[in-house]
Amino acid sequence: MIGILGHVTLSLAFVSAILATWFYYRAAQFGAEKNESIANAFFYVKGALTLFASGLLVYLIFTHQFQFYYVYNYTSSDLQNIYLWAAFYSGQEGSLLLWILSSFLVGLAIIKWTSPTYRTPVMVFMGMTQVFLLSMVSGFPMPWDGNLGASPFRTLASEMPNAPVFLQNPDFVPSEGSGLNDLLRSPWIIIHPPVIFLGFAMMTVPYAFALASLWKRKYHEWIHVALPWTLGANLCLLTAIFLGGYWAYVTLSFGGYWAWDPVENASLVPWIFGMAGIHAMLIQKKHASSHKASIIFAILAYVTIVYQTFLTRSGILGESSVHSFVDLGLYNQLLIFMLVVAVIGVAFLIYRYRELPEPKKESPVLSREFMMFSGSMVLFLVGFVIILGTSSPILGRLFVDNPTPPDQQFYNNWSLPFGVLIGLMTVVTQYLWWKRHDLESLSAALIKPTLAASVVTVLLVILIDMRNLAYMVYLFAALFALVGNGMVMYGLLKKNPRRAGGTLTHIGFAVLMIGFLGSAFDRPMVDSQTRDYNRAVAAGQVYDDDGFPENQPVKFVELERGKPKLIDGRYMVTFLSAEITENKRPGEQEYEILFEEVESDRSFVMHPTVYPMLSNSSPGAVEWTVDPAVRSGWNADIFMYVAGSSLVEREIERMNREDPGQFQSIDQLGPQMADHDPDITEIRIKRNGTAQIGEYIISFRNFIYVDEDELPDNSIIGVKADLLLEHRETGESWEVHPEYILTRDGDSQYAFNPPKNLEFTDGSIRFKDVHPDTDEIGLAIRGIDGEPEQEWILLAAEHKPMISVVWLGTFLLMIGFSVAIIFRWSDQKKREKQKIGDRELAGNGQSEELTVQVIKEDDAKPA
Amino acid sequence: MRPRLVFGIAGIIVFTTLVMINFSQSINSYVDFEQAAEMTGDRIHVVGIWDNSEPAFFSSETMQFTFYMKDESGNSRRVTYPNPKPNNFEQADQIVVIGEMRGDTFVSSDMLVKCPSKYNDTTNPEFTELD
Repeated sequence: MIGILGHVTLSLAFVSAILATWFYYRAAQFGAEKNESIANAFFYVKGALTLFASGLLVYLIFTHQFQFYYVYNYTSSDLQNIYLWAAFYSGQEGSLLLWILSSFLVGLAIIKWTSPTYRTPVMVFMGMTQVFLLSMVSGFPMPWDGNLGASPFRTLASEMPNAPVFLQNPDFVPSEGSGLNDLLRSPWIIIHPPVIFLGFAMMTVPYAFALASLWKRKYHEWIHVALPWTLGANLCLLTAIFLGGYWAYVTLSFGGYWAWDPVENASLVPWIFGMAGIHAMLIQKKHASSHKASIIFAILAYVTIVYQTFLTRSGILGESSVHSFVDLGLYNQLLIFMLVVAVIGVAFLIYRYRELPEPKKESPVLSREFMMFSGSMVLFLVGFVIILGTSSPILGRLFVDNPTPPDQQFYNNWSLPFGVLIGLMTVVTQYLWWKRHDLESLSAALIKPTLAASVVTVLLVILIDMRNLAYMVYLFAALFALVGNGMVMYGLLKKNPRRAGGTLTHIGFAVLMIGFLGSAFDRPMVDSQTRDYNRAVAAGQVYDDDGFPENQPVKFVELERGKPKLIDGRYMVTFLSAEITENKRPGEQEYEILFEEVESDRSFVMHPTVYPMLSNSSPGAVEWTVDPAVRSGWNADIFMYVAGSSLVEREIERMNREDPGQFQSIDQLGPQMADHDPDITEIRIKRNGTAQIGEYIISFRNFIYVDEDELPDNSIIGVKADLLLEHRETGESWEVHPEYILTRDGDSQYAFNPPKNLEFTDGSIRFKDVHPDTDEIGLAIRGIDGEPEQEWILLAAEHKPMISVVWLGTFLLMIGFSVAIIFRWSDQKKREKQKIGDRELAGNGQSEELTVQVIKEDDAKPA
Repeated sequence: MRPRLVFGIAGIIVFTTLVMINFSQSINSYVDFEQAAEMTGDRIHVVGIWDNSEPAFFSSETMQFTFYMKDESGNSRRVTYPNPKPNNFEQADQIVVIGEMRGDTFVSSDMLVKCPSKYNDTTNPEFTELD
C-alpha cells in the first residue's frame, strides 16, 4: 500500500517537474506573470511530493518493511537510529532523492532572491535538471517497457520475480534485511552526503544563469548573482571533499586522504572548474571582459558533475573504483541526462557565440585580467588531466584493449608541475589584483617573498635532507605562495578585511601545497632490522631464492604480546592486549598498543580495532576488516592498523568450526556473536563420532540413561553423554559424563544441564542439546581449546608528516570561501538596491545619465 | 592571427600531446599470465580467481602472502604479495594482481580484491529461510 503511494507520489512529482519546467519556459519566452505563478505552484507541488515520498521511505526504513528492495538492501533491524536515517541516502535511489531535495531548496532560494530578469529562464534549467533526476527514481509507468528509472519503492518480489522463494510464495517477506555496509556505519555518513549533494545542487545555478544569459542576451549582469552561488557550491564541494578524505583516512587501511579514485575525482573536477569559473567571473566583473570564459566554465562545471555522475553510477567504471555504484539500469537515462545538459549548453553557446562581447583591445601580459585568465586556463587544464585519467575505461580504449585505470603516478606527476605553476601565479596575480604594476615595480615587490621563500627552502632542504629536485622547486613555489599571499593579506587586514576572502583562499592553497608534500615523506614505522632490509631492497641489493631482485619493502612488524620492540628508532612499542570488546559492532576486537618514546618520558596507548564485516559476509566466510587508529600531531601523524593477529585467526577458526549451517542469515550471526563467550567452543558430534578440540580428541560413545531414582523430582527424562577425551600427543584419556535432564515446572519444561568440570585441567564440558533427527548432541566446551598459544599481531604503522597541515590548509580555504561569499552576496544586494534607487530617481527625471549607464550594463547590443 | 593566440594554441597542442602520450603509458591492459610473461614493466595487471586447490598462506619469515591464482584463460600461477592476506580474500569473486612475472611466479606489489557483495549490490540474495 505504502509502496503504491510512494510510486504514485514520485510519479506525480515527476509530472509536476515537467509541468513546472514547461510553464517556466512559457513565462521566460512569452512573459505573463500568470505563467510564472503556475510554474511556481508546480515547482512547490513537486517539492512537497518529493518531501512526502522521502518521508514515506524513511517511514518504511524505520518500520523495517523488508519486502521493499531498498529497505532490505540497506538496513536491518539492529541498526541504530542515526544509521536508519542515513540509510535513506545510503543507496543510489535515496541519494538521488537527496540530490533532488537539495535542488529544490536551491530552487526556492532562486525564486525568492533572483531578480525577475533572470528568474524564469534560470528556473527553466533548474526545472530541467529536476526532470532528469526525478526520472531516475520516479518508477513512472512507461507504456512500452515497464517503469521509468529505479524507484526506491519497488519490492523485492518485483526485483527478482524468478527467485524460488517468490515463485513459492509471492507474499514472502524476509525477516531481516541485509544491513548497511559496515564501512558506512560511521558518524561521517550523517554529514558527508548531504553536503556533497547540496554542492551538486548549487553548481546547477551558475549553469542555469549562464544559459539564461545566453537565452536572454543579457551577458553582463548574471555573474553578480551567479558568483556567490558558485562560491557557495565550491565551499560545499570543498567541505564534502574534506569530510570524505578525512573519513577515508581514519577508517580505511590505505592510509591516506586521497587516492584519485573516480568517485573522489567526481567532486574534485567540478570544484576545479567552478574555481576557473569564479576567476573568469571576477575578471568580467572588474574588467568587462572574458564573458565567454565565464559562460563556458559555468556550463563545464555542471556538465562535469553530470558526466562524473554518469561514470560512477552507470556501472561503466566497474572494477576501477572501490566505490562506484552498481548499475541500476539507469545507463541510458544517465547518458541522455549528460548529453542533453552538454548539448544544450554547447548549442546555446554556438548560437550566440558571435554576439558575445569581446574586449576591444588585448590586455597586457602583466595585467590582472590576463594573469587571472591564464590562471583559469591552468585550472581548466588540471581538470582536463583528471577527467582524462578518470575516463580511462572509455578513453583508454584509444590506446589498448581492456584498459586498466592509470597508475596514481599519472595524476601525481601532472599535479606537481601544475601545483608549482599555480602557486607562483597566485602571488603575481594577487599583487596585480590589488595594485597596477609594470615589470619593474612588480619585480621590486616580489623581491621580498622570493628572498624569504628561497632562504626557507634552502634551510628545509638541508634540514630534512631533501634530494629530489622536483620537490625542491615545489617547496619553493609553495613557500613563495605562502609568503607572497601572506604579505598581501597583512596589508589587507589593516585596510579592508571584508575583502580578504580571496586572498585567504590563496594562503589556504599554499598551506595545502606544503601539506601535500608531506605525503612524499611517509615512512613505514618498523624495527631497525626491517629498516635495514628495506634500505637494501631500495638499493637493489636483495635477491629472492630464484635470484630475482626483491622490490617490495616490508611495511609491518610482528609483535608478541608483552615483548617490546624498538620501532622507527624512537618508540618502544608493546602489544599490551587484544580483547573482543564489541564496543561498536558485534565481534569487534580492540587492541592496546603502548608507545613509549625512548628519549623522553612520554608514552601513549593506541587502540586500533578489527571487526568482522557481518553485512558483507556469508555465514561460511566472514570478511574481516580493520579500523585504524590515528594519533594526530602538529607536524606528523602516526597511523596504524592491525594487519593480522592470533586473535583474528582463532576467531576465524572458531567460526568455521561452529556449524555455519545453523545460522539462518548473516544478520543472525550478529546477535549470536554478541552473546558469545570467546572462551567457549560449541560443537556437534554424532554418536560413535569424534571431534578434535585443541590438543584433545573427543569421542561420543553412547547415551547413558539415568535411573529415575537418581533424577530430581519433576524430571521427565535424564540422559548422560558417554564421552572419552584423549590427549593427542600423550595418549592419556579420561571419561566424562555430562548430563542433560529435562524437568517440568508447571506447564513449562526446561533443561537442567550444568557444565561438568574436567579433572585434568581448568575447563568444563556442558551437554548442550540433543538432535534426535541426526543422532547428534551439542556440546559447549570451555578451557581445553589447546594450550594458551603465544599471542601476536602484525602491526602496520606509518609515520605521516604534515597531515594536520593539509587540514589547516583546507580550513583556511573554507574560511576564505565563506568570507568571499558574504562579501559578494552583500555586494550584490547593494547593487540591486542601488539599481532600484536609480530607477526611482530616473522616474523622477532627476538622473537620466545614471539610468542610461545601468541599462547599458544590463543589456547587450541587439543582434 | 594575433601572436598570443598562436602561442596559446601551440601550447595547448603540445600540452595535449604530452598528456595523451603520458596517459597512454600510464594505463595497461588486463592480461593473463602467459601474456604477462612476455611483457616488461612491473605494473602488469592480471585478473583471475583464487585457485583453492593449492594452499594460500602468509609466511612471517619472508613477510609475504603466497597463493595460486587462476587467470581468465585458466592458467594457474604462484603469486606472492608483500602484505598479510587481505581480509576478504577467500570470498573474492575476482582478484586483480599488479606486478610482474618472474619465472613461474607472479610477484605482485598491489592486489585488488573484489567481493561479491561489497557494496550491497546483492541482486540475488540467498534466502535460506522459507516460511
